Amino acid sequence: MYWYILSFPWPVVVSDALFSSLLFGFMGLLAWYPTRYIPFQRNSPFYSILAHVVAGLLVLFVWVLVTVGILNGIFADQEAYVKFLNKSLPWRAGLGGLVYLVLVLIYYLVSNNQKLMERTQQQERLKVLVRETELSMLKSQINPHFLFNSLNSIASLTMSNPDEAREMIIRLSDFLRYSLKHRENEYVPLKEELGRMKDYLAIEKKRFGEKIQYIFNISGECEDFPVPTMIFQPLFENAIRHGVYESVDPITIRFDCTPENEFMKTVVANDYDPAIPTRKGTGVGLQNVRQRIELAYQEKGSVQWMGTEGVFKVTILFPRIYSKR
Amino acid sequence: MKAISIIIVEDEKPARDLIRAYLEGNTNINLLGEYDNGFDGLKAINELKPDAIFLDVQMPKLTGFEMLEVLEHQPEVVFTTAYDQYAIQAFEQNAVDYLLKPFSRDRFQEAIGKLESRIESRIESQKDTGNDRTGIERIRQHLAESEEKLHRVVIKKSGKIHVISTGDINYLEAQDDYVMIYTNEGRYLKQQTMKYFEKHLDSQQFVRVHRSYIANISHIERIEPYEKSNFILILKDGNKVPVSRNGMQVLKENLDF
Repeated sequence: MYWYILSFPWPVVVSDALFSSLLFGFMGLLAWYPTRYIPFQRNSPFYSILAHVVAGLLVLFVWVLVTVGILNGIFADQEAYVKFLNKSLPWRAGLGGLVYLVLVLIYYLVSNNQKLMERTQQQERLKVLVRETELSMLKSQINPHFLFNSLNSIASLTMSNPDEAREMIIRLSDFLRYSLKHRENEYVPLKEELGRMKDYLAIEKKRFGEKIQYIFNISGECEDFPVPTMIFQPLFENAIRHGVYESVDPITIRFDCTPENEFMKTVVANDYDPAIPTRKGTGVGLQNVRQRIELAYQEKGSVQWMGTEGVFKVTILFPRIYSKR
Repeated sequence: MKAISIIIVEDEKPARDLIRAYLEGNTNINLLGEYDNGFDGLKAINELKPDAIFLDVQMPKLTGFEMLEVLEHQPEVVFTTAYDQYAIQAFEQNAVDYLLKPFSRDRFQEAIGKLESRIESRIESQKDTGNDRTGIERIRQHLAESEEKLHRVVIKKSGKIHVISTGDINYLEAQDDYVMIYTNEGRYLKQQTMKYFEKHLDSQQFVRVHRSYIANISHIERIEPYEKSNFILILKDGNKVPVSRNGMQVLKENLDF
């Protein structure tokens, strides 16, 4: 072969090399597409291999045909070369096939690597997202102010009234345990959720005494209705933050649950002093509750709130079709 | 040494009980009274003029900080708080001490010790220079420099304390060392700088439209050209506020026109 090439004048040799390489380079690029669109399947490699053999033969056929066609056209007057060209067809095809195979393998390697990187990045993003959600959930659950002030009250009661101190520690523990086991999509019977909310209110009552009054009015049908855990906590916390913390007069917090048509309707209501400008922004807690209800029941459930004439009211409608969960 | 008179301002009864229990045995401390909200505390401090106060930060009606802002008599302050991250800096540098709830008897005695030596050195320095500067001015200063946004403003007007929600403010006007705050209910003079309000009011809502004016953009009715290249704001209550060229730029950015 070497001898053959050397025996031709240099323009012929250069043209041959140039055309075959350029055209093959182009064809090699085309090989990217079959690799891209014929994903290598571990469980059925036969299909992928077949597809590549077909694609490869096609590419080779076109390449050899075009190269030989062009070179034949240009150097039609050089008989020896034309002869060589026609003889060289099989080894051109063989060599091309080998290069094609190597190219496909390289492409697979590159695309695999890319996919791996994308997947790692995605996993990383997901991890961050989960963490953020968990953090904001934790933040929305237990207000550190509440926790430390409760501990302070307990410290005080250990001296003046050890029995009450013990009571309060037990209530605080029950409430904390409940909030720790809380997961976004867990459901508990309403009476259990309200039991823990009463612990919470009882602790606050130790701190604020007569300033907190609470009344629970629950229809029998409501008691076992499953609700998302800690769904009412932000509402009671708001009632205390904006009602009790900001007032010097007694504040009554009411909870009602009654069946209404296809819904279980719950209302959390508290008095507040409309004359006192609020200190810190409302809304985050309520938005969270609304978001959770929407996630849990889609458009079938709803959360509404309004404050008029010194009473702030949050109404949640739970669809009764979800009475088993 | 003369007994130290103190007042407790704290909204939770168990927390007051704890301080009182810890105070027993401190014969040099004279407890003048206990109050469960900022308003009553303020009144009592101005009347009874204690040497020191134990002050909770989170309280109804008036927070501990808001109370300090309008206090006439200036006692030494020991803060008692559960969890106020940003406030702790203010305490560290300027208060006699701060107690994080719950605190031990030993920790409490340490605060009493600090209080005693502070009051002693205060009496000494009064003898020397005749001038007395309590930590309260420095706490005010520190809070003014913090990044905390204002949600309400506390103002003393003819002996009464007014708590104004920032949303109710129409506009503010510079008046020498004071700022006049205009609301639908009337106007209130506050000893404070425009720079302070510019920094601490929500910049989404309040715009410095002029060297001497800050306007609440949700109370703007319309903007009219005024004289050559100037503009004037017409507020919903009919008041007019001049706008400087710079102020117009900021307004344009804020209102997106």
